[in-house]
Amino acid sequence: MTLFSQIVQYTISGITSGSIYAVIGICWSLVYLITKVLNFTTGEFVMLGGMLTWGFRGTGLGLVPSVLFAITCTILISMIFERIAIRPVRFPSEMTYMMITIAAASVIKGVVLLGWGSETRTIPDFFGTEVIHVFGATMTSQILCVLGLLVIVTLGLSLFLNRTLFGKALRASAINVTGASLMGIDISRFRFFCFGLAGGLGAITGIVITPITFTGYEVGMLTGLKGLVAAIVGGWTMTGTMVAALILGLLEGFGAGFISAGLKDVFALLVMILFLIVRTLDLTLGKGRVTR
Amino acid sequence: MSGTSREKFLWLILITVIVVLPFVTGSYVVGVMSFVAIFGGLALGMGLLLEQAGMFSLAHPTWFGLGGYVSGILAVRGIAPPWLGTIFSAVFVGIISYVIGAPLLRLKGYYLACATFGLLLIVEITMGQLGTLTGGNEGLMGIPPFSIGALVLETDVHYYYLSWVLCLGCLWLLYNLMDSRMGRAIKSFSDSEVAAKSMGINVPWYKLKVFILTAVMASMIGSVYTFYLRFMEPSVLGFPLLVELVTMIIIGGGKTLYGPLLGAFVVMWLRELIHLSLGGFLPRMSAQVDALFFGVIIIVILIFMPGGLSGWTDRLLYLGRRTFGKAGE
Repeated sequence: MTLFSQIVQYTISGITSGSIYAVIGICWSLVYLITKVLNFTTGEFVMLGGMLTWGFRGTGLGLVPSVLFAITCTILISMIFERIAIRPVRFPSEMTYMMITIAAASVIKGVVLLGWGSETRTIPDFFGTEVIHVFGATMTSQILCVLGLLVIVTLGLSLFLNRTLFGKALRASAINVTGASLMGIDISRFRFFCFGLAGGLGAITGIVITPITFTGYEVGMLTGLKGLVAAIVGGWTMTGTMVAALILGLLEGFGAGFISAGLKDVFALLVMILFLIVRTLDLTLGKGRVTR
Repeated sequence: MSGTSREKFLWLILITVIVVLPFVTGSYVVGVMSFVAIFGGLALGMGLLLEQAGMFSLAHPTWFGLGGYVSGILAVRGIAPPWLGTIFSAVFVGIISYVIGAPLLRLKGYYLACATFGLLLIVEITMGQLGTLTGGNEGLMGIPPFSIGALVLETDVHYYYLSWVLCLGCLWLLYNLMDSRMGRAIKSFSDSEVAAKSMGINVPWYKLKVFILTAVMASMIGSVYTFYLRFMEPSVLGFPLLVELVTMIIIGGGKTLYGPLLGAFVVMWLRELIHLSLGGFLPRMSAQVDALFFGVIIIVILIFMPGGLSGWTDRLLYLGRRTFGKAGE
């Protein structure tokens, strides 16, 4: 392969993983902005989507029904999780919420490990396995599915948030929870809804990438964390998250290609730590001292 | 320490029980109790950070693992004997935690947690990738037993005493620390950082100090763990240990200093119980499966018993005193 086609190849893989991180990052911010819960189970829902689809296919169902079942199950699990573990907390603090979601993530992981073992699983590509050649680089139709997913999710969400009354109320409660509930918005219902939506989006993402990257009980945590990196760097907004996620994906694609494939997971986490540190510098050097 | 006579009495009982235990029980109990000491000591430091100082740092398994790895590698390569390696790795971890902690501790709440969680995963992955130095994902093998000069620690009982000396030393240190000027500073900034600052307390400096102190403690415990098992692998310093430590702190209750040790005792014996009773029909008992049970315990305790066991006993004592009319100390 020439250098040029290598670069094209890394760009393609970078954009693919970048779009995945973008959708996952949107899942994190949906939950974080409404409930102030940093939901560490987000990554596990991505994993659950893929694993459940694989599981339903194993029982003899076709691809489409098993995908639908998997998404429904993940949404239900996410909503049940909110009901039985997040809502009854008596002294809600950041630390309590974070410990509960980390604990729930390890519970989901452990159940999947016990049920289906530690082998990696996969499902077939949605539209066959024809290879498309672009400037000497290769890509499959599944990659187009991933890009399509990102476009559909962002367009759908922005239409929903900007055009419907429910979406506007959701945005209002993201800006100011107390104010929104004083205006008669039922926050408790929104929390429930956001967990469900984030679970569903996570599951869809997990299903779409499974043919490319495969899935297993332990993929959730790292994939989810990279989504979190995108959300933090993007400042919890949708556009920011998308831009950050695509940059992150490209960085990872080129880092894996030119530096080391084994260390590719390290890059994203380093970006997050450096960004967080730089952000504090910026705040203290800027106008006055901003505590947050 | 300047404790009341009742506290001195409790310390005496604790030490007596620990000293006598190997003479009256078998090697199984001694083995489990060694792990109680090792992980209890680790949880003590993390509990101090999380609950007393209010710093949400999740990187504790990293210091534990780094300490173990550095002293293990030095011993395997024959560069330094185990006792010197332990001291050297403690100094090394101290320096690293200073370099990392100085910029990182400016963060608060969720952001500090995210950054330290990222650090945890970075170190775990890097340790697996540095194959020639650390043995990669297969783990570091061929570590000699702990020795000082001609004295070689061989049996479980030796390590039992070594780890309990270290663990109780940490507990004693923490009690004295919280009794000192620094301890009062820690308590004040965990309540309100602004108020502490306005009283002239150098908050960032105290935060960094307590961060480095607990990191060095974790590193020494990690060295003892490495020489005890004579094996170290990247997954030891990863996510499962973090969940385990958080379980210990939450079960024991971090508002008291001894809580995490109590939690470690409960968690370790609970794990043995789970393995004994379920080992038959759950063949794949790994750290991940343990993490499942611990996850359920964390959620249940945080919802129904937020103070943990020690908070619960404190409340019982308080109720008892109130009911039977005995004046408080």
